[in-house]
Amino acid sequence: MTIRTPGERSLRSSFELVAALTSRDLRLRYQGSVFGWAWSMARPLALGIILSFALGKVLGTGITAEFLLAGLFPWFWFQGSIQAATTTFVGNGGLLKKVRFPRAVLPVSVVLGNTMQFVLSLPVLAGFLIFSGHEPNLAWLALPLVFALQLALILGAALFVASVTVFFRDVEHITDVVMSLLFYATPIIYAADRVPDSYRWVTRVNPLAPLAEGWRAILLDGELPGADLAISGGLTVVLLVAGWFTFRKLEDSFADAI
Amino acid sequence: MRSEAPVVMSVRGVSKRFHMVVPGQEMKTTLLHPLRAWRASRRNRDLWAVRDVSFDVGQGEFFSIIGANGSGKSSLLRLLAGLSKPTAGTVETTGRLSTLLELGSGFHPQVSGRENAILNGLLIGMTRAEMEALLPSIVEFAGLQEFIDQPMRTYSSGMYVRLGFAIAAFMEPEILLVDEVLAVGDARFQEKCYDHIATLQRKGVTIIMVSHDLSAVERFSDRAALMERGRMVLIGTPQQVVTRHLERLAETSPEIRRALEDGIEELIAASPEAKERFDEALKEHPEFLRMRAEQQARGQADGTGEPPAR
Repeated sequence: MTIRTPGERSLRSSFELVAALTSRDLRLRYQGSVFGWAWSMARPLALGIILSFALGKVLGTGITAEFLLAGLFPWFWFQGSIQAATTTFVGNGGLLKKVRFPRAVLPVSVVLGNTMQFVLSLPVLAGFLIFSGHEPNLAWLALPLVFALQLALILGAALFVASVTVFFRDVEHITDVVMSLLFYATPIIYAADRVPDSYRWVTRVNPLAPLAEGWRAILLDGELPGADLAISGGLTVVLLVAGWFTFRKLEDSFADAI
Repeated sequence: MRSEAPVVMSVRGVSKRFHMVVPGQEMKTTLLHPLRAWRASRRNRDLWAVRDVSFDVGQGEFFSIIGANGSGKSSLLRLLAGLSKPTAGTVETTGRLSTLLELGSGFHPQVSGRENAILNGLLIGMTRAEMEALLPSIVEFAGLQEFIDQPMRTYSSGMYVRLGFAIAAFMEPEILLVDEVLAVGDARFQEKCYDHIATLQRKGVTIIMVSHDLSAVERFSDRAALMERGRMVLIGTPQQVVTRHLERLAETSPEIRRALEDGIEELIAASPEAKERFDEALKEHPEFLRMRAEQQARGQADGTGEPPAR
């Protein structure tokens, strides 16, 4: 057996640890439930259908179910990941106090679990889009770019909120509130070009906005995402770096603070 | 320390300070009660759990740390394990370190013992392949052959501990840190654990143990250290250190002193209240005090005044 000095751990072991935690969490989440992972799609589907009725039919905005779903699926991936990640350190205090392991695996595996769920729900979304007349096209090849950007954004935010929550428990509740606000500050139930010019800045400073627009441009219109995505990419990198350094700065005190 | 053995753990001037604020609420206090936070900081309500501790442990050595509750033993062990960072000083470790801190931390009741064992190994830093190769020995040692694929919520607490110990014991550590864990489990399993620790010792594994089990400390240790209010007040042979520890206890507790002097039987016969208090002291030092007191009594009966050789 190979001998390693402490602190030095094979990269393989870390990857396997993340994979094992992710798969355990995914299995536990739907253990004993009849419909299993199908439940992960229940919220975006239900919300998409009721909003297309309320906004599209009742208010007569002409907004369609496919427009909503193309925004809601990625949104719930974001929201679910961040909310689950908030308590990963606080909720694993016993482990943090007793075992030395790379702390980042806790929020990362929770984010990856939600990401797996999102990926598994994509065929359903694609099926729905094809059924409603949006043929797959070459622009879909750009999906990995939008996917990767959103994943980076989620990881950065998850590391940040999970670390700060250890020292300031209110962050958990602040996150809930921010999520509700962010839902409406992101062009999910409206298109960004409908936003009055004087409020356009809201969708510019929100890195999720170009992503939501990007998902829809690709999936519904067969177009490549606009230049706004570059700004979002820049903000995402900043957030990821900030999240990582916040985590690195605080991780040494986790075991003492919990 | 064996002079020829290379030093594998070097502790230099290590101190650890805790702020005496409710954990997780420091920020809250500062934000909502700035006056209170300021007053608290003025009153210097810091707790130095570990103060200026220095020692070396050589390869293959069995080093025990004893001390009363709250003397800083467990905080020190956490610092040695790298689980918390010292406020001052350094801990340098050479070699693969494994901890027997709280057995079975990280076990999830809903998944099988097998999966928990593998996940536990991955947490400690093994690879999946290494864990799968070790698993048969772990399962056999823990005596869980029929249960290993059952979810752990069906396990008894003894089974939990056995699996936890077996995993940690088979990690092939070069340095093993052991906290108060062997007090759990039945006597037979405890004996098995000590046997395994003795095997590891023969293999040249360095072992650092924090324990209240003074007889185990005397039985296994090459050297021992006594902690008192965060300081390491004595490093020496296990006999020296255990004796000093008991002397200190005797100074603070008349019951223990009398027990050491007169033997326990007479004392208990004399006063039921004393028995109660003595039992409390025994909880902290199971078996040993009784044994020592009986030896002392026997020694006096022999007229030698010395406890008989073990």
